[in-house]
Amino acid sequence: MRQIVKLKVNGLEKEVAVEVYQTLLEVIREEFKLFGAREGCGIGMCGACTVLADGKPISSCLMLASLAEGKDLVTIEGLADGGTLHPIQQAFIDENAFQCSYCTPGFILTTKTLLEENPAPSAEEVRAYLAGNLCRCGSYVKIQQAVLNAAARLRGAAVR
Amino acid sequence: MLDGHDRVTGRIPYVLNFEVPGMLVGRILRSPFAHARITAVDGSRAEQLPGVSTVLTRADFAPQTPIKGVYGRVFRDQRVVAAEKVRFVGEPVAAVAAVGEERADEALSLIKVEYEELPAVFDEEEALKPGSPLVHDPRPQLDPAFSSLVGNLSDAGNICSHFKLRHGDVERGFAEADFVFDDTFRSPAVQHVPLEPHVTVAHYANGKLTIWTSTQMPHAIRAQMASLFNLPLTRVRVITQTLGGGFGSKGSLRLEPITSFLAWKANRPVKITLRREEEFVTVCKHPATIHLKTGVMKDGILVARQVRALFNTGAYTDIGPIVARNAGSAMSGPYRTPHVRIDSYAVWTNVVPAGALRGFGVPQAVWAYESQMDMIAERLGLDPVEFRRKNIVRDGDHYATGEKLEGVHYEELLRRAAASVNWAPEEAYWRKKSFAGSMSASQKKVHRGKAVTLVIKATITPSTSTAVLKLNADGSLNVLTSSVEIGQGAKTVLAQIASDAAQIPLEKVLVSEPDTDLTPYDQQTSSSRTTFSMGSAVVLAAKDLTRKLMDLAGEFMEVSADDLTLREGKVEVRGVPERSLGYADILRRACRGDLIGEGAFTTQGGLDLETGQGIGSVHWHQAAAACEVEVDTETGKVMVLRFHPSVFAGRVVNPRLCELQTEGSTFFGLGQALFEEMMYDDNGQVVNRTLGDYMIPSFEDGPLELRVTLLEHEGAGEIHGIGETSLPPVMPAIANAIYNAVGVRIKDLPITPEKILRGLKEKNIAEVQHF
Ligand code: FES
Ligand code: FES
Repeated sequence: MRQIVKLKVNGLEKEVAVEVYQTLLEVIREEFKLFGAREGCGIGMCGACTVLADGKPISSCLMLASLAEGKDLVTIEGLADGGTLHPIQQAFIDENAFQCSYCTPGFILTTKTLLEENPAPSAEEVRAYLAGNLCRCGSYVKIQQAVLNAAARLRGAAVR
Repeated sequence: MLDGHDRVTGRIPYVLNFEVPGMLVGRILRSPFAHARITAVDGSRAEQLPGVSTVLTRADFAPQTPIKGVYGRVFRDQRVVAAEKVRFVGEPVAAVAAVGEERADEALSLIKVEYEELPAVFDEEEALKPGSPLVHDPRPQLDPAFSSLVGNLSDAGNICSHFKLRHGDVERGFAEADFVFDDTFRSPAVQHVPLEPHVTVAHYANGKLTIWTSTQMPHAIRAQMASLFNLPLTRVRVITQTLGGGFGSKGSLRLEPITSFLAWKANRPVKITLRREEEFVTVCKHPATIHLKTGVMKDGILVARQVRALFNTGAYTDIGPIVARNAGSAMSGPYRTPHVRIDSYAVWTNVVPAGALRGFGVPQAVWAYESQMDMIAERLGLDPVEFRRKNIVRDGDHYATGEKLEGVHYEELLRRAAASVNWAPEEAYWRKKSFAGSMSASQKKVHRGKAVTLVIKATITPSTSTAVLKLNADGSLNVLTSSVEIGQGAKTVLAQIASDAAQIPLEKVLVSEPDTDLTPYDQQTSSSRTTFSMGSAVVLAAKDLTRKLMDLAGEFMEVSADDLTLREGKVEVRGVPERSLGYADILRRACRGDLIGEGAFTTQGGLDLETGQGIGSVHWHQAAAACEVEVDTETGKVMVLRFHPSVFAGRVVNPRLCELQTEGSTFFGLGQALFEEMMYDDNGQVVNRTLGDYMIPSFEDGPLELRVTLLEHEGAGEIHGIGETSLPPVMPAIANAIYNAVGVRIKDLPITPEKILRGLKEKNIAEVQHF
């Protein structure tokens, strides 16, 4: 059974016809053609499908598309400000915090919320907060560096 | 990485994202039985379902049709869809192409298959017993190219291949030895779990098959698909994009045959994306049982080693014999051993087919021999590090394969690894505490232990890579190669090498995606060979290109090409920098739109099947691992406090990428050491097929400290790949460190808390009885 829902993704609103059982991840990929959120497990274990809903990271593979109506959704494609990368994205590049980078969007979006909640996390706090995002390539050491580096940058920006 | 911007903005064009107009979705019906005869397959009801385009069954490959649907690199034992028999739970039996996933799933449920169950065998030891059910009967047809790999084994039952290595006289060695150790070590099946699943899009039109697929071997896929379809190579085009991880899983035909035949039959493009559960029944690491017998003198000098290694290759061969050989040839480890006798088998059973997985059989071998090294050291009362140092191979030694070793760096690797964890002889468990009653005497709940391990590993030999460099009119450079970017940074490293060799600024160099219509042959992206092998091909192509440039420049400037040299996009007269010509000027004056340089790099070698003698590897990958763990004796939980891999890297092209791959290997190994295992039920079905039941390492499983040492050789021109070198020593390092913490020796992976608790309990009972 199909239903029409109005979804707001990266600031743009669009009406889409979705099956009641369709997940937000499917709809973001198939209807919005945004491919930065990806399925890794389909059951909320890996974080590769992370998007921000009203500023909080969610596993879009678990959320029904129809329930995302009215939420402010942000995917990795919506993070950069025009041509300028978000400082977290830049920190991931500077530290080369990826190999295949399938997991990267999920890590970056989760980091964004982490640093909003805790602008100066310790290494342990970074690890604990990001424990729900899996990186099979094992880029964790560099990811941790990138997050700490991004935190310092954002604090610097906030001070200025 | 040069494509970092795309990686952090989510714009990497994985095949997963790929769409073709009019594309259908394909889904696969799989066998619920481990071993059964198929008595009937009926897809007619599924075919009538609206929205279903086509159903593929064994009827499409009936004997009277020209298309046989049989493939396999070593043995032709796999079918696009099962015909007479199924041989493992999850084997593809039929497939459908429909307008959407839901419709395709519904269609699968309408296909009727009738089975007659047969007795099955799952374990590699059981499979060799007389009377065991035969997985392949008669033996499948062997590809003649591999006859030297498998040998004549007509009555061998479930033995798929047998590699032998004979060096010295092992009987004499054991007779001379003061002590002989005999142990068995086991490794289970584990899954690669690349986060991007296998994906294939196929389109058959106008007599040409085009495949976009997540593969590590585009040219091998093209060749095998051409033979499946009876087409010339020009009629099959394989295109690969950046992969979301592979670790060996994307190295043979996987989804390509079934997707292509669906597309061919439907006359429409078809895409198949595996679900995570399906990944677990597609390919895995070889479960292995390794019997290791080692003879040693009192003073700690190794004299003999005998190995019987069984690699469970599952229901279909894939590259099992190559894994068994690769592991077999290096089972004496990086140690001088005068007498060696190795029998390494690939064995067929009714479990998920095993294939390449990071390390290619060597992790199973190193798990066995490095665990045993520590056991021997204890028995002899030697410091395990010193015991290794006494025995390591050195420059000029002859390896068990007969080849002379050069460029050996174990002394240095061992020294650095030991120093990285402040190893001291007192770290050995039996030296640390009074032997008996230690655990019960101490009330301490948490104990720490350290360990140091080594590995020697071949890179695939012989092998071939080719590269084409295309210099454009504006002086920019296209590097055409079939190396696959899999997260290892191939594109970045190859661009760096090309930039350096052709003297063209990095920002003007672009490395292509593999496309078999356009990019030249490369054997495979695996075995840590891309930087070395393709890197060398790129250097040769750059030489070819710059020689042409210098010839042209010499003509234009009226000087001999010998007097010319290259600098930053210019050809200049040696010693007279003001007399020069830019690359773009040379092309313009030569009226050329572009200029091509070609390079082919091949290595020679190979091992004799009966003796294991020959050239096993053009150079040997060498690494050490050192770690410290903490074991909680109440919960059995292990925490890895620090882990320090040391790898010999020859000349390092990109230190950051070398570190990343080595760190990645460490995490990959930690999972295998501590928890990864595909579990089967009694019917041969994998029960943990989701990431909810099958854990892979997360941030919280990692070492608190992880520092990589890259050992570079002063002035070494040679580049060593490092993609998998540091993985094999991880598992025994953890096991030995656990032993040094609590005195519990685990010989079958993974080392779970339950096994540690059981070990502690048995040990306490033994200690109480001792008093
Ligand atoms: S795909 Fe959603 S959490 Fe893994
Ligand atoms: S970089 Fe490959 S999964 Fe994280």
